[in-house]
Amino acid sequence: MTLQYDNVSYTYSGGTAGVFDVSLEIGRGELLAIIGASGSGKSTLLKLLAGFVKPDRGRILIDGHDVGHLAPEARRLGVVFQNYALFPHMRLWENVAYPLKVRGISRDERRSRAVEMLGRVGMHSRADDLPAALSGGQQQRVALARALVFEPQGLLLDEPLSALDAGLRMEMRDEILRVQRQSGIATLLVTHDQEEALSIADKVVMMRDGRLVQIGTPRDLYETPADASVAAFVGQSNLWPGEVSGDGMVSTDIGTLSCDTAGWAPGAKVTVLVRPERVEPITGGVDTAKPGEFAGTMAADRYLGPVRRLDLAVAGGFIRLETHLREPLTGASIPPGAIRLLPPT
Amino acid sequence: MSPRASSSTLVGFATPGAIVFGLFFLLPVGAVLGGAFADGGSAFRRLAADPVFWNGLRGTLVLGTVAPLFSVIVGVAVALALLRLAPGLRTAALIAISLPLTFSGLIVAYGFILLLGRAGFVTLLLAELGFDPAVTGAFIFSPLGLGLAYSYYLVPRVVLIVLPAMGNFDRNQLLAARSLGAGGLRALIEVMLPQIMPSLVAAFCLTSAVAVGAYGTALALVGTQVNILPLFLYSKISETGTDLPAASATSLVLVAICAMVVAIGEAFRRSRG
Amino acid sequence: MAIIAIAYLIFLVAPMLLLALGSFGESWSGTLLPTGFTWRWYQELATDPSFRRAFVTSLQVVATTCILNLLIGLPLAYAIQAGARGGVRVAARIVTLLPVAAPELVLAFGFILVFSSDALPWLGSFWLLAAGHLVLTLPYTVTALVADMEQLGLDHYEHAAATLGAPFTARLRDVTLPLLRPSLLSAMLTVAALSIGEFQLSNLISGFLSRTYPVVLLQAFYGATGFACAATVVLLLLAAVASLTSGLAAQFAGSLLSRRAT
Repeated sequence: MTLQYDNVSYTYSGGTAGVFDVSLEIGRGELLAIIGASGSGKSTLLKLLAGFVKPDRGRILIDGHDVGHLAPEARRLGVVFQNYALFPHMRLWENVAYPLKVRGISRDERRSRAVEMLGRVGMHSRADDLPAALSGGQQQRVALARALVFEPQGLLLDEPLSALDAGLRMEMRDEILRVQRQSGIATLLVTHDQEEALSIADKVVMMRDGRLVQIGTPRDLYETPADASVAAFVGQSNLWPGEVSGDGMVSTDIGTLSCDTAGWAPGAKVTVLVRPERVEPITGGVDTAKPGEFAGTMAADRYLGPVRRLDLAVAGGFIRLETHLREPLTGASIPPGAIRLLPPT
Repeated sequence: MSPRASSSTLVGFATPGAIVFGLFFLLPVGAVLGGAFADGGSAFRRLAADPVFWNGLRGTLVLGTVAPLFSVIVGVAVALALLRLAPGLRTAALIAISLPLTFSGLIVAYGFILLLGRAGFVTLLLAELGFDPAVTGAFIFSPLGLGLAYSYYLVPRVVLIVLPAMGNFDRNQLLAARSLGAGGLRALIEVMLPQIMPSLVAAFCLTSAVAVGAYGTALALVGTQVNILPLFLYSKISETGTDLPAASATSLVLVAICAMVVAIGEAFRRSRG
Repeated sequence: MAIIAIAYLIFLVAPMLLLALGSFGESWSGTLLPTGFTWRWYQELATDPSFRRAFVTSLQVVATTCILNLLIGLPLAYAIQAGARGGVRVAARIVTLLPVAAPELVLAFGFILVFSSDALPWLGSFWLLAAGHLVLTLPYTVTALVADMEQLGLDHYEHAAATLGAPFTARLRDVTLPLLRPSLLSAMLTVAALSIGEFQLSNLISGFLSRTYPVVLLQAFYGATGFACAATVVLLLLAAVASLTSGLAAQFAGSLLSRRAT
């Protein structure tokens, strides 16, 4: 089963918000995460696939069949909602059995299938409880069970972890991944949490203003972001405006850096990206004559446990770096391999 | 935009209600208001020449100002007291306070006759203290006394309108104002009042419209003796061989006052959000 | 503030208390409180033919009004809430405000004008009375139900049910109606309380044989105090019971609503 957007556009009535010319494919067993700021259109993409809104243009395909005209109930997609939307008047097993009831399966069979499904998410002992008796994490598990019990053609997760405490979020993230892998189902995850997306998705899509900015593996997005907005959204970064001053040289406010300038003409405006963990700390003497080596003082020093995240004030600006060193720093060095050039903003 | 139901289903759902509203509200009210102009406006001239009409209008304006004003003041005090109660107790108190909302105006009327009438409990109690029962016992039959009786079911309305606004008000703001040097009363007036003002105005307008339009309590208390517009209209309607265009014209005046007050209240309610 | 609140409570209770005392008092004239104790007034009330007939009529009107509110008000509220467009909302709000802007007295006058015509000769009939009560209570039903649907987040549950494969009718049957049951119960009880006490419209449009309890009650005010008190207390109790159970049902609905927020 594959889920596919083919050149889909949708505009909310009376506004300019929406999604524009989106083409995407989620393969069998693949987990694709859509990230972006609020208002970027990521939730709209989920609504389009679920059938809550109909596209103005383009096609929505499930397993190659155009389902754009189908009502949500005819699409056979399991959806886990942000607030779970468990029916408060039904017991847990009745919640999970509801899609089976609608499909005319006998009471005995749907009860046994629901309880079995609850077992897969570790909730079988609570089958006769009402949702109100559950914690957020438990409701999440039940919602997941309910979305999968009828063997849907795809699984849609709408900010599934945002209502949970930080600690529980990690646990549920692994749980979702485990259940998704077990059922081998094409899955769309909408989240504003880039860390969540990077840690469990096979592919990540970054959206901005209703358009796809980049699609790739988590590693692609982190290591080779398409532009400064992706770099800023995904992980920590140093981003400096600069200009290619010659072959292998870029001049920025903090000085000239040497790096690979292949593909950029001399004089081209660029944005220089350096991830903080790629900056090398210096604790002794600094040789500012060396290209990429800077003397500086510590402007901010954040202790994060395994690492420290520092802002080093240097002539012309700041360098952010992460290090496991515990001593005071006198400077930093940016190796050419750590530098990526992005289009100017 | 939502796939909850098709448009045709929703239209079908709304149709019976629309028919009921059209047939049993718009049509009769329209007939009344249209009737006011049936004789080319001369009904209004007859009204304008009728001193009873002007007396009634004056009484209604007094009643429509005093009763809601009094109700808003009492209602705000009651709401403040309610907010200090524990949530469970507050709910119980709120249910008790809402009781008069559904009470027939007649219950209120007879209750007040027993309480404040010529031989009422309070009147006789005051007579022991030397107050002339002929004077104190007549109060409830005046427009002001009527206003007091009306407040019996107006105060609950006020409480229900202002309580959410006052409950949403973050009391830490008062503490903040006081830590910045404002006195208690000053903090209340300068920080809280402006924020709950729209709901106070909305409550005033709604209760004013109710007070202007109601006639049941007044009829039960005093027959058609007191000078308020609804009773003037009631006697016109219930008399046989009456001047129907004049009755329609009176209705129009009544509706105009109520509609204006409701519209003002609605404008304030909207300005809040 | 507390003093005003206590004074208000006394103000709230005093008339009801006096009515109750008066209904059991053998005689009450010129004294602070009634003297003697008797069930006589209630017995007289129970055997009074016009009160008996009015009581039955009132119960019939109340039942009819509640059923019509359910059949007409619930779908209307659903259409307004699910339609959800700005214009529909504004129109609905105006419709619910109009009855306040046009007093019952004016509406009653309109009924007299329109429904005594040859084309629509319904004045004095039971069904016109029920229609009048319906049109007076419908705004309350619609406002209350729309607010509850909104707070319940009905759209979330219906969307969820749709993704699980439930078509419209199944969603209504399995999700919408069960979730709304406490709200409906509460709204219908309030409608009952409003309808049983309705006087201003009924007084002018009910026929002689279809007079409701409050209309007949007004006549009692000119008779013996004890009888008037007893007759009023009966109405008071009916309204109070309906109103209190409505409040309890709303509490139950509220506890369902608040459970949604995890």
